[in-house]
Amino acid sequence: MKKKILTAFLSFVFITGLLLAGCSSNSTGENTTSNENDTENANEEQVTINLGYYSGGKSDEKMQELINRFMEQHPNIKVTTQSSPYGQFFQKLDTQIAADEAPDVWLSDGVLVMKYAERGAIKDLTEWINRDLNKEDYYGLESNQDTDGKYWGVPQGIQIGALYYNKDLFDKAGVEYPSEDWTWEDLKEAAAKLTIDASDKKPSEEGFNSENIKQFGLTFFSITEGWFSVLKSYGGGILDESLNNSIINSEENKQAFEWMVDGMSKGIITDPADLNSFQSPMAVFPSGSAAMRIGIYARVLAANEAGLNYDVTVLPKGPDGERFSPVITNSWVINESTSDKKAEAAWEWVKYWSTEDEVQKEWAELGEAVPVKKSVAQSDTFLNSTDKPENKQAFLESFDFAGGLDTNAVWSEWVAKFNEHARRAFLEEQPIEEALENADKDVQKILTDFYNE
Amino acid sequence: MQTNRGNSAATTLPRKKRKFISYEGKWGLLLVSPYLIQFIVFVIAPLIASLYFSFSQYDMLNAPQWIGLENYEKLFNEPLFYKSLWNTLYFAVLFVPAQAFLALLLAIALNQKIKALKLYRMAHFIPVISSWTVVMYVVDAIFNPRFGLANSFLIQLGLEPQKWLNDEQQVIPLLVLVAVWKGIGYIMIIYLSGLQNVPNELYEAAEMDGASSIRKFKSITLPLISPTTFLVIVLSTITTFQAFEQIYVMTGGAADISAAGGPNNASLVLMLYLYREGFSFLHMGYASAIAWILFIILFILTLLQLWGQKRWVHYH
Repeated sequence: MKKKILTAFLSFVFITGLLLAGCSSNSTGENTTSNENDTENANEEQVTINLGYYSGGKSDEKMQELINRFMEQHPNIKVTTQSSPYGQFFQKLDTQIAADEAPDVWLSDGVLVMKYAERGAIKDLTEWINRDLNKEDYYGLESNQDTDGKYWGVPQGIQIGALYYNKDLFDKAGVEYPSEDWTWEDLKEAAAKLTIDASDKKPSEEGFNSENIKQFGLTFFSITEGWFSVLKSYGGGILDESLNNSIINSEENKQAFEWMVDGMSKGIITDPADLNSFQSPMAVFPSGSAAMRIGIYARVLAANEAGLNYDVTVLPKGPDGERFSPVITNSWVINESTSDKKAEAAWEWVKYWSTEDEVQKEWAELGEAVPVKKSVAQSDTFLNSTDKPENKQAFLESFDFAGGLDTNAVWSEWVAKFNEHARRAFLEEQPIEEALENADKDVQKILTDFYNE
Repeated sequence: MQTNRGNSAATTLPRKKRKFISYEGKWGLLLVSPYLIQFIVFVIAPLIASLYFSFSQYDMLNAPQWIGLENYEKLFNEPLFYKSLWNTLYFAVLFVPAQAFLALLLAIALNQKIKALKLYRMAHFIPVISSWTVVMYVVDAIFNPRFGLANSFLIQLGLEPQKWLNDEQQVIPLLVLVAVWKGIGYIMIIYLSGLQNVPNELYEAAEMDGASSIRKFKSITLPLISPTTFLVIVLSTITTFQAFEQIYVMTGGAADISAAGGPNNASLVLMLYLYREGFSFLHMGYASAIAWILFIILFILTLLQLWGQKRWVHYH
C-alpha cells in the first residue's frame, strides 16, 4: 500500500515537473541559445556575458554570426544570448531588471535609452567612450547624451527620417518629383494633385468626397513619422532643452497644426481614422495607397519588398526655412548591476561592434539601419548598393538638421498623452487651441510628477 | 483534516498518542504539496507583494518606496479610471445577459434530436478554442471600414458606411458582439449539461396535464436550470472584468499601446488601463492599486450575486 502511494506520489511530482518545465519554455516564447566555446579551459580569465537583443528572421542569423566571430577573436569571452521579438523583449526586460536578472549588455531602442538611464538601470559609459572611441567617427552618439553631457549608450544602428515618394504615382499624375527646396506648403500643393477619391476625383474637382479617399497625397502617423518633424520645422516642439518642461502651447505649434488639420480635413493627409482602416499604418505607402510618406530608414525594407518604384529626399522646410529630421539611435547599453569584469567584457563587444568596419558593413547589408560609423555609411556598401532607394545620400544629408525625439524617462507616457489630444484636433473633435492647451497641461503634469520628486 | 485526524487516531493507530498531524495527514500534505507550494509561490506571494506595491511608488527598476494611500488618492481623482470603470460596466451589462440568453437558446436548439447534431455543436465550439489574434483577422475582414464586408454590404443597400471599431459609440457594442460570438459555444455546453439533467418525467407529467411548450419551458426548464444560469452569470461577470486580450488585440494595442483602448479611450477597460499604466508607463504601484480596486469590485459583485441567488435559484 505504502509503496503504491509512494509510486503515485513520485510519478505525480515527476509529471508536474515535466508540465512546469514544458510550460516555462513554451509560454515565454523566448529564444535562449548559448554558444559553447572550445577554448574554455585555455584561459583562466574566462568571462561569460549575456547579451540581449530584439530581432526577427534574417537579422537574427547575422547577429549570431557576428557573435561567433567575436568569440573567436576573444577566446576569453563567452557570449550567451537571449532574443525575442520587439514587444516581448522590452516587456520581459523590465521584469528582468526588477529581478536583477537582465542581460549584461542589451540592445535598446533609441527612444528607451533615457528611460533606463534616468532610473539607474544602465551604466554611464562616458569614460569608456572618451577613452576608446573617436567621437567624430560616429553618427548618433550625441543622441545618447543626457542634459549633463553623459553618454549612456553606443549606437548600434541609426534610423533617420526622410520623405519617401512613389515615382509611378507622381508620373501618372504628371507632378514633378519632390525637390530639396520644398516647404511643407509646397508638399501639400503637390499632395493635393496626388489625392484621388473613390470616384477618381481630385480635391480641385467638383463633387470630390474627402470622406472616401482611394489614394492619399501623404501618409502620416504617430510621432516619428508624423507630427514631430512638422512641429519642429515650424519652430515649435514638445519639450524645452531641459526636457523637463512642456512647450506645447505655442503659436508655432498652432501653425503647424493648422497645416496638418487642414490637410487631413481635405483628405490629402491620412488622419487617425483613415489609418485605422488599414491593417497597419505602415502599410499605406507600400500598398501604393499614398504618394508620399515621412519615413525612417527601416521603411525601405517594406517598400522594396512591395517592389515599389520610389525614391527618397530630405524632409521639407518650415515657413522660416528651418528643417528637422527625427533620428532614433538604437544603442548598446550595459547593465548597471553587472560585475566590473563582465562590464569590461561587454564593452569589448560594444567596441567590436562599433569600431570594426567589417561588422558594420555586414550589418548594413541587411538594410535595416544606417550604419553608425560614418566611414561605412559614406562608403559604396551603403550608398551605392543596388537596392532602392537610389538617393540614399538623402539620409546622410538629413544628419545636418537631425534631432532627437525629446526622449526622456517618461517618453512613452507623454507621447501617449500627446497623441490622445492631437488625435482630437486631427479629427476636428476639438479646436486646435484647446487641444494644445490640454496637451500642454497633461504632458507637464507627467513631467512634474516624475522629475519633481 | 479535522475529521481525518479523529478517524485515524481511533482506527489505525490506537495505542500511540495523538500527534498534531497524523500519519495520513502527513501523507495528505505531502501529496498536495506540489499544488500547495505552487499555490503559495505563484498566488499567495504575488498577492501580498501586489498589496504592498499598491501602497508604494514602484517603477520595477528601482526598489519600491512606501507612499501610503497616494496611489489610491490618485486613482480616485483620475477621470480615466472612472472612464475605464464605466466602460467595463457597460461591457458587462451588455455582454453577460446577451451571452447567457443566446447561449440558452442555442443549447435548447442543440438539445433536440436532429441529424448531424454533433457537427452543429462542434461548429459553435470552434470560436471558443481559436486565439484572439485569429479572431481579429476574421473580424477585420468583416468590419474593416475600408475593405470590410459589412461596409460593402451597407453601401449596396444604399446606406452610409460605418467606422465600426473606430467609432466611439460603436466600439463597445461591437466588441461585445464578437465576445458573445466567441464565448457562446462554451456557455452553450454548460447549458446543455444543465438541460440534460432535467428529468424527463416532469415533462411527461406536464404533457399529461396538457401544458403548452412555452408553459413547460417557463415552469419546468427555467427553474430547474437556474443553478446553471447562476453559474453562467457569475462566470461571465468575472470574465468581463478580466477582459483584456480581446480589447488589446482588436483595438490596436499590439501595434501601439497608446492606441489600445480604442478611439478616445472609448474601449479602455480596467484591465487594459492597468496594463498600460503598469507595463508601458512603469507605474507598477499605481497599477497594483487598480488591481486591488478591481478585486474589491468583483468581490462585492459576486457577494451580491450570491445573496441574490436565494430569490431565484432553485436547487432540487
